[in-house]
Amino acid sequence: MSEKIQPENAIVFDNVKFSYPGSGEAYAVNGVSLTVKKGEFLSVIGHNGSGKSTLARLVNGLLESDAGKITVLGLDVDDSANRKEIRKRVGIVFQNPDNQMVASIVEDDVAFGPENIGLPRDEIGRRIEWALNAVGMSEYRHATPARLSGGQKQRIAVAGVLAVRPEILILDESTAMLDPKGRREVIEVVTRLNKEEGITVILITHFMEEALLADRTVVMNRGEIVLSGTPEEIFENGEMLEIYNLCLPRITEIINKLNTAGMGLEQVLRPEELASGIIERFNSAGIVNAVSPHGKPRPEKSVPEWDIDIENLTFTYSKKSPFAVKALNGINLHIGGGGFFGIIGHTGSGKSTLIQHLNALIRLPQAEKRYRRKRVKKGSPAPVLPSLTVGSFNLADKKTDFKSLRASVGMVFQYPEYQLFAESVFDDVAFGLKNFNKKLPAEEIEKAVRESIEIVGLDYNEVKDKSPFDLSGGQKRRVAIAGVIVTKPRVLVLDEPAAGLDPLGKKEIMELLHKLHREWCSTVIIVSHDMDEIAENCTKAVIIADGKAVMCDSPENIFGREEELYALGLDVPLVSKISGILAKSGITVNSNCTPEDFADKVIALYKGGADA
Amino acid sequence: MLNDVVFGQYYPVKSFVHKSDPRIKLLALIAYIVALFLADNFYSLALGFIVLIMAVIASRVPLGRVLRSVKAILVLLVFTAVLNLFFHGGDNLLWQWGIIKIYREGVIFTVFFILRLFFLVMGSALLTLTTAPVELTDGIESLLTPLKWIRFPVHELALIMSIALRFIPTLIDETNRIISAQKARGADFESGNIFKRIKAVIPILIPLLISAFRRAEELGDAMDARCYAGSKKRTKYKKLAFGWRDVIIVLLFAGLITGAVLLNVYADTIFPEIYEYIRLG
Repeated sequence: MSEKIQPENAIVFDNVKFSYPGSGEAYAVNGVSLTVKKGEFLSVIGHNGSGKSTLARLVNGLLESDAGKITVLGLDVDDSANRKEIRKRVGIVFQNPDNQMVASIVEDDVAFGPENIGLPRDEIGRRIEWALNAVGMSEYRHATPARLSGGQKQRIAVAGVLAVRPEILILDESTAMLDPKGRREVIEVVTRLNKEEGITVILITHFMEEALLADRTVVMNRGEIVLSGTPEEIFENGEMLEIYNLCLPRITEIINKLNTAGMGLEQVLRPEELASGIIERFNSAGIVNAVSPHGKPRPEKSVPEWDIDIENLTFTYSKKSPFAVKALNGINLHIGGGGFFGIIGHTGSGKSTLIQHLNALIRLPQAEKRYRRKRVKKGSPAPVLPSLTVGSFNLADKKTDFKSLRASVGMVFQYPEYQLFAESVFDDVAFGLKNFNKKLPAEEIEKAVRESIEIVGLDYNEVKDKSPFDLSGGQKRRVAIAGVIVTKPRVLVLDEPAAGLDPLGKKEIMELLHKLHREWCSTVIIVSHDMDEIAENCTKAVIIADGKAVMCDSPENIFGREEELYALGLDVPLVSKISGILAKSGITVNSNCTPEDFADKVIALYKGGADA
Repeated sequence: MLNDVVFGQYYPVKSFVHKSDPRIKLLALIAYIVALFLADNFYSLALGFIVLIMAVIASRVPLGRVLRSVKAILVLLVFTAVLNLFFHGGDNLLWQWGIIKIYREGVIFTVFFILRLFFLVMGSALLTLTTAPVELTDGIESLLTPLKWIRFPVHELALIMSIALRFIPTLIDETNRIISAQKARGADFESGNIFKRIKAVIPILIPLLISAFRRAEELGDAMDARCYAGSKKRTKYKKLAFGWRDVIIVLLFAGLITGAVLLNVYADTIFPEIYEYIRLG
């Protein structure tokens, strides 16, 4: 009469401890007790190194706990006999979609899990169909992942995990490396699986906006769970989050600020809800039409000798092969010297190709060593050649000193920490300096390296002899940036400088860039797909779509053209979203797109209207 | 760009050859090589040439594309040809300069040798031009399956090949990115002597290796999490299908080998005067 009791809980952690070998008594997970109910949607937030990812790996036995007990769907994880069953029922999607795929064709990759658990062939076929359908990727069944976007690849990774039919789905920072569109795609899929298929979801994330979607949020700090509750409850006490090196979601920041001015708004999570809340308050205060004055334009320094001018820039990869891809299609762009410039666009829009022209990593055809002027047939128009000048450098001229161009135009690529190579931080930072000036005396090198390491916020004496590989993720990125700015470039170009960092790390990197911009860097150019980042930092921005410069203007003006941006498949900053809805109800808030300015303007309108 | 090296081979069009079973194509190539080495006179070599041309036409790959593959071994070809030409002995002296003597037999042998190598390389190129790498590994795995009887880890080998293929584009992208980043920091990979150039590669190699290890570790975790536990009790979704095209290919290449053998035996009866003139050895 032993009827099996179906456990109600998906996962139970009971005082679990874990430390990585070699880290001594430093626990990555330190006494965690947590119960996740079946069908629950739980989000886990915490700064880098807080133990979130370790938690995920403990659940399915990729790591084994040192103390305490973990039970998954009634099965004890420590019992290795259960491991196979647990892995069947718990799927994990990791951070980097590229590193989770085993096959070069989508359906073969999705088949990998079902093959491993020994399903018959026709059942595998059905599962592939179902899983690809669930993530909306059916039409890509025979495609090769190498040609898909980040978001699509990650959805394939989700499908690969789903095909085993897990009851629990864990996303371990699975959206960290994606652009906003890709992130939205993955999150939509996961939310739907939770609602419709009843799959228990644990979402580990750095994006506070994503954490808001869950039923419950858990905050981790130094291996411990420090807060737990509904997202609304968690984000209400902002001071607490700051102690744990986290930031508030922008929407909560705005609400809190408006409430200190006595607007008494409810804690909501969606821009539409906030907008209607504001409208309601305005209406009950008797304000029907209100227009805020335009903000002052952001202070912009002008350094005309570092203007960048681009005309007719066209570029095709693998020209004359069956795989030719046109990346740039006639770019015309003026980047005024002295600005903090933003470049916006999808993955694959041509942004990266564009910036690689700026320091001649990709040379204009006329500047190639083997370039010969083509003979033009009589009667046909002369071909249009691209032109590109950066400050006094003419990049269309073969005789330009490209080496000193590269010393003046610093370029930081995506995830620059992956390019570190030297034995010590000092050598790595000094690498560029020695390349550009082979005869520089040792004292000068030391001085420049010290200055560079200190400006990125690291302690020179502490880190200079360390191996760069022994540093933490955020520190590595700083060292990599130090290695570029060591030559004091007047133009600094950064591709997604804040990607993959936790909120605090992001903030610090942007602060560092502003500091460089104030001190000696004339122009800072950042490539980003985070619209809020562009809105909050840039004086001007350009939108690149299909290899063309579509709009180039101040962030206020660009993000005012919401409809056009949506048509390009781009997003707008949160503030613009709310302002857009308010404008339809007669409340025009002309902010500079930052949450602070927006809140100030709304408060001014509210107070002004209420007084009248 | 590095990309061209790897993907330059597969030529994506739809054709008879593209659609046939990779296993059959692999076997056909082996049969073709055997036939070329069986051939001991120009008649059987000509048969090989006819089959090659038929295959090229059926593949719808432009002839220039197939010929380009020979470029890679051109130096080797010229070098061995010259050696053969100068050192092949014979009876009919054609030309002499000092101790260097060229005989008619030497010329004929060299031409034969070059053509044979030429056809061989073009035949192999046709396989890689018409078969995607993934299909090729599937084909190899399937052909090796009998080796499971002697406990040869066929599944593991196939998985390794498949993963290697999967990561080639990823690692090429990564290499390009690292090269660009180091170039932006003033690294110079194009000038200096050989030692300087080897030294210049270190800033590329180290990050690349570290990243490859990191990827390997993450991939291992992901595979574990997706229930991978070796080849035991594992099923396979993909099945290669043997179709009518493959029957034609089998017949054609069986014909080729038979034809080559017959031509070897009866060569002296076909245009005996010509044969006498171009006979080898």
